[in-house]
Amino acid sequence: MTHLKKYWPLHLMVLPSLLFLIAFSYLPMGGIVMAFQNFKPRLGITGSEWVGLDNFRFLFEREDSIQVIWNTLLIAMLKIIFNLIAPFTFAIFLNEVRKELFKRYVQTMVYLPHFLSWVLLGGILLNVLSTDGGFVNRILESVGFDAIPFLMDGSWFRFTVVASDIWKEFGYGAIVFLAALSNVNPSLYEAAEVDGASRLKQTLHITIPAMLPITIVVGTLALGNVLNAGFDQIFNLYNPLVYDSGDILDTFVYRTGIIGGNMGFATAIGLFKSVISMVLIFISYRAAYKWANYRIF
Amino acid sequence: MRAKFRIALLLALSLVMIITLAACGGSKEDKSASSDQPAQTGTKTDEGAAQETSPYKDKYDPPVTITTVWGVDPALKFKNGETIENNVATKWAQDTLGIDIQSLWSVTNTNNAYATKLRLAMTSGQELPDVLVVGNEDAQLIQDLIDSGAFQDAGALFDKYANEKWKTAMDLDKNVWNPYLREGKRMAIPILDYAYNNDYLLWIRQDWLDKLNMAAPTTIDELEKVMEAFKNNNPSGLSPDKVIPLSIGFKSSMNTWMGDPSWLFGAYGTIPQQWNVGADGKLEYGSINPAVKQGLAKLNEWYTKGFIPKEAALWDENKTSEPAVAGTAGIIPGPYWMSGWPLQDTAKNDPNAVWKPISLPTGPDGKAGRHGTPFSNGVILINKDMKNPEALFTYENYMFDNIADPQPGGPFENGLFKGYDYDVDASGNPVYGDENVQGGVVNAVRYLLVRDGARIPDAQMKALLGLANGKEATTRMEKDLKNNFGKETPAAAKVLMGQPNISFMNMYTGPSTETMQTKLDYLKKIEMQTFNEIIYGEKPADAIDKFVETWKSSGGDKMTEEVNAWYANLNK
Repeated sequence: MTHLKKYWPLHLMVLPSLLFLIAFSYLPMGGIVMAFQNFKPRLGITGSEWVGLDNFRFLFEREDSIQVIWNTLLIAMLKIIFNLIAPFTFAIFLNEVRKELFKRYVQTMVYLPHFLSWVLLGGILLNVLSTDGGFVNRILESVGFDAIPFLMDGSWFRFTVVASDIWKEFGYGAIVFLAALSNVNPSLYEAAEVDGASRLKQTLHITIPAMLPITIVVGTLALGNVLNAGFDQIFNLYNPLVYDSGDILDTFVYRTGIIGGNMGFATAIGLFKSVISMVLIFISYRAAYKWANYRIF
Repeated sequence: MRAKFRIALLLALSLVMIITLAACGGSKEDKSASSDQPAQTGTKTDEGAAQETSPYKDKYDPPVTITTVWGVDPALKFKNGETIENNVATKWAQDTLGIDIQSLWSVTNTNNAYATKLRLAMTSGQELPDVLVVGNEDAQLIQDLIDSGAFQDAGALFDKYANEKWKTAMDLDKNVWNPYLREGKRMAIPILDYAYNNDYLLWIRQDWLDKLNMAAPTTIDELEKVMEAFKNNNPSGLSPDKVIPLSIGFKSSMNTWMGDPSWLFGAYGTIPQQWNVGADGKLEYGSINPAVKQGLAKLNEWYTKGFIPKEAALWDENKTSEPAVAGTAGIIPGPYWMSGWPLQDTAKNDPNAVWKPISLPTGPDGKAGRHGTPFSNGVILINKDMKNPEALFTYENYMFDNIADPQPGGPFENGLFKGYDYDVDASGNPVYGDENVQGGVVNAVRYLLVRDGARIPDAQMKALLGLANGKEATTRMEKDLKNNFGKETPAAAKVLMGQPNISFMNMYTGPSTETMQTKLDYLKKIEMQTFNEIIYGEKPADAIDKFVETWKSSGGDKMTEEVNAWYANLNK
């Protein structure tokens, strides 16, 4: 009681976000029951027919479901890995830049794309990457290469998706790493210099170890996205020619759930994704604790 | 220890309270949104009033309110700071009919945004508007909205309140109500459209033909010779890799409206991606007809020769018009009205360009075919809680009487709204076009509650054929067609009507069947994939046999059965 009396402002401060969390994260969870129903809007959650695991069975009965899941995993994994490596490396390089003005300029420039929507970028990429007079292909052709069908060939499509996502997000991702770097005690570098360590040695033994904890946090949290390959992006870029390598769970849910009106099925896939993500976060959290001796929560 | 326990208890209690509070708030909202009580009282008073006098009036005083929602075409322009919620048309309805049109929400309709938002609104139990207008491009959504139970028997209201003109127009094709029948009740009012509005023909660069001294192609073989000449011997002096002899695209579908490739399949005897009547009188899905193989092989050949755009698989309808307008395309398939938009703009890029309409070329057996246009292009849904459904009919009856085919001397003889779609010059004559109307022309007819106001299916073709045969333009429709639709439009209508029997409508218009719900997306996906792979030469044309086999065994056969059961029931 005395505790509450003393700290009530703190409790009050946490109240809005608690309410928010309950209203927007916990209450809607009731909708999960739709995953086990043949949901019809007119009948509602209480009136719709229960179909058990039919919606899940339907996901795995589709002839292309393995491929869709594989596409999702592959694209998402590539994004996770490179979205960790690119900002990490970029932050180290940027940290070595001594000119403050240049550093800031670069930093702002690279994180700007983060604020553009994929609807916009989709249109731009379609033009820039066109094999028919697109800017990128015109450069390739002028130095003697063949035009590359970035958006019409399956394997190139994956490359395009991953590369454009990295380009869009790495600047933003680098912010956390740069923040971690600014926390490194300068005396460590001074001491290393006195001991005769080169810049490379300083990076290897001071900078990188200082960044490891935050890298583990970012990496662990990112694993939760292992089934999120990026709906906005793929939806705006894909076409029938690259269905084989570009169709992912989310576009598939969109077509059946939203366009086809099959809400129960869409919810089932959502639940399936959440469960997998939760398991992965759990495992990676344990692993981070066990091997890196690092606790996130 | 005790103190700690008490704190924990207090926290837990407050948490419970918060949850209950939040839950209460939620359920209260639900009640007000879905409760039938106010609606019931509303109907009661209506019925009471109806016994004395009909609630239907030509003008309401005090004004009545109709709520609606809008999916705004991104290309629709506004002027004078107006919006879809508040503009010259809503003001007009308020002043003339005493109807206050209020919008619950509006959304710019790109990437199916309107359909998606409606679907979410329906599923999450948000307030639905009194009057909901949905286009046939979202046919499945219309069916789901009807099944949601939120809308009332529109047919009964139609019989009660619609005027003769509207009823006569509706009677031109009895089939328009078919998709919306539920146990004999007509749950949505079809929005009538001009017949043949989306039937297409080929637009060709006549100036190129003339310079090459070639005649307009009438067969696929002749067409190939023309495309060859357009590409390799271009009359405007363009290098072969800059010319697109035939501008088509199939990003979303092989069966669309502008840049549509389906006529090529028609030349071999089928229309893909729709249900056609087969030789045995039963419905058959066009994409599995053997003729598709020849069509795809031809498209592959044309792709290899560079006759069609390299990135046709990424091109939607509007994209196909870009090279046509830029003056680098030789032929583009499209509706008869394309001479007005977008082809009129070609003159800005190539002043010598002359687009002429020609008939669809025939295949080796003399066949030709295009997809037809349903007489209806969407529906009006009436909310079962709507307080004054008769107001909608006041509005639409007025549209049919005065705007569908305005006669000389009427209030709309010159156009819809002065200063918007037309203007009047110093001597009192109406003037049209961006250069004559201050601030530019806006398509004000799109601001009306029901899309395009009102259309009588056969009116436009009648007027156009009259004009093509040399009749003087007297009514506004005739003048409008003459002034705003591009000078080749009457000729195009004549060309179109020269091939009246090659127009094939999609014969299945019912709700999606059980198999469609679970299998249709997959079937569509493998269909588009196979078609594209064959066109792009990644697979031989024989791959279509494998596709047909898979299609049939993966639910296609079952779907065909269901569709035919519906069809048989309809003809009873």
